[in-house]
Amino acid sequence: MKPLTIIASALPEAPVSEAAAPQGNGLTEMLAGWLPESVPFWGLTLMASGLAFGVIMAFVSVVAMFSTWLERKVAGHIQIRLGPMRVGGWHGWAQAIADGVKLLIKEDIILASADRPLFKLAPALVLGTAISTFVVLPFAPGVMIADVHLGIFFVIAISSVTTIGVIMAGWGSNNKWSVYGAMREAAQVASYEIPLGLSLMPPVIYYGSFSLLEATQAQSGWFGMHWYILDPSVMLVSVPSFVLFFVATLAETKRAPFDLPESESELVAGFHTEYSGIRFSFFFMEEYAAMFVMSAIATVLWFGGWNFLGLAALEGIPVLYTTACMLVFIVKSMLLVFVMMWVRWTLPRLRIDQVMILGYKYLTPLCLIVVFAASLLEYLRFVLSN
Amino acid sequence: MATPTSLPETARRSYWGNVWSTIKSTAVGMGITFRYLWSKPFTVQYPDEKLTTDERYRGIHYLEQDLCICCNACAKACPIDCIEMEATRHGKELEWHQFDLDYQKCMFCELCVYPCPKDCIHMGKEYALVTEDRGTLNMDLLTWQGLTEEQKVRIAEAEAKKAAKKAAKEAAAKKKAEQENREEA
Ligand code: SF4
Ligand code: SF4
Repeated sequence: MKPLTIIASALPEAPVSEAAAPQGNGLTEMLAGWLPESVPFWGLTLMASGLAFGVIMAFVSVVAMFSTWLERKVAGHIQIRLGPMRVGGWHGWAQAIADGVKLLIKEDIILASADRPLFKLAPALVLGTAISTFVVLPFAPGVMIADVHLGIFFVIAISSVTTIGVIMAGWGSNNKWSVYGAMREAAQVASYEIPLGLSLMPPVIYYGSFSLLEATQAQSGWFGMHWYILDPSVMLVSVPSFVLFFVATLAETKRAPFDLPESESELVAGFHTEYSGIRFSFFFMEEYAAMFVMSAIATVLWFGGWNFLGLAALEGIPVLYTTACMLVFIVKSMLLVFVMMWVRWTLPRLRIDQVMILGYKYLTPLCLIVVFAASLLEYLRFVLSN
Repeated sequence: MATPTSLPETARRSYWGNVWSTIKSTAVGMGITFRYLWSKPFTVQYPDEKLTTDERYRGIHYLEQDLCICCNACAKACPIDCIEMEATRHGKELEWHQFDLDYQKCMFCELCVYPCPKDCIHMGKEYALVTEDRGTLNMDLLTWQGLTEEQKVRIAEAEAKKAAKKAAKEAAAKKKAEQENREEA
């Protein structure tokens, strides 16, 4: 691992390995083992895609449901009240299911004045992009849909496509508030994409790779506690870079205090004002899916992915090990999602000019400083270790 | 360069001062909300549990009907005429027909309570007035209608007493008349 050539070597390598002859991933290989030889490769790929989509969709629904319930509970208890308590018995656990059913059977209203194709396409695009980011998440050893070489880039690139969906929704609704919301989203995401991308660089420099799987494997030392954020030799950059990344993610996922695109006290509900029923629930699911993905990325890059103290001892029992790893990964990510909720119910919403000031005058320069410090530190570590 | 002191404190802070104060204030705020997160909720599960009301709480009235003398003092005191009552007198006993309080009008001012000579109308603790029918808000405060068995007994006793008295009086008058007649004769 030569620090100064990392970025140079990481970039051109990727297209080469992607462009190599049709090469199945784990899923296609698994399917090929079960199905007769005569099934062509494209058939296998199609089936694998369908399977992956089904699994991710189910997972996203469960995560979104659990998160809405958690959000309402956290909001309630932070405001010293109880939150949902009735539906389903124990602390209103079935509230999210009831809400989901309600949204499913509600009337789907499309305005006469709306731009129908845009209006209809927007929720699908938004949710679709949110779901496709799940493809590269390493849940556990072997539980990963695709080990994309540029996994981190993939997530950042795909997740910003959501913005286009939001702008489509805002424009297609033919409503002032929606357009305002969409414009704010565009301005916000365009500004925060820079600090978001830059704050991911310190871990990338540290691991010497853009792959999420390699990042996780690199943190497996010290009985599973060799997390980037816990490594004392780089703590000086890992902690600030995580804080910067976290702030940028809040803006990227439209969470308070950066929830200007939907700021309900000013813009009714912003870009999804005119949506109802299942289409509205798509936006809702996207928000929680995006929160989970961003938290998962932070988990992988800063908090050791699926690694946890002493977890490697279970390696002999494959099923148990995989389940435990998945559990650790999901719990870590959900904890970060909880922190996002905690921030939401603590801080008031910023004004749009304050959002821009924070993005351009504070986050971007600070990110540059951190990236520079990380490069320097990595060079020093390289020099010292030789 | 010295910054003018007339500017508000937030504008006078330096770049790093801003960064520091943002981090610090966020941390303090999140500390507070975290403490709240684990504190005991202030709210209760309403229909199952109810908060206890204060001693001086002014809820739906209750009437001690056996003490009330149907003097109309409370109805007269009420600034919006919510109270309507009607009773027939049987000597000392009252046959109640109506003691209605219209909670569509009542403002729970307690003015009806003070003038009562028998101290028998009070502000109660009950506050749930939710209804689907406005008519039910015109509430009947009576615990019973008409005459109770005891009242009937007492009325009968009183009447018997009265009758006995009358009879005694008549008897005495008769006696007197007879005596007078005899004297004349
Ligand atoms: S509380 Fe006030 S408004 Fe209500 S009945 Fe008594 S005097 Fe009237
Ligand atoms: S003032 Fe008291 S005694 Fe008189 S009618 Fe009202 S409640 Fe009865």
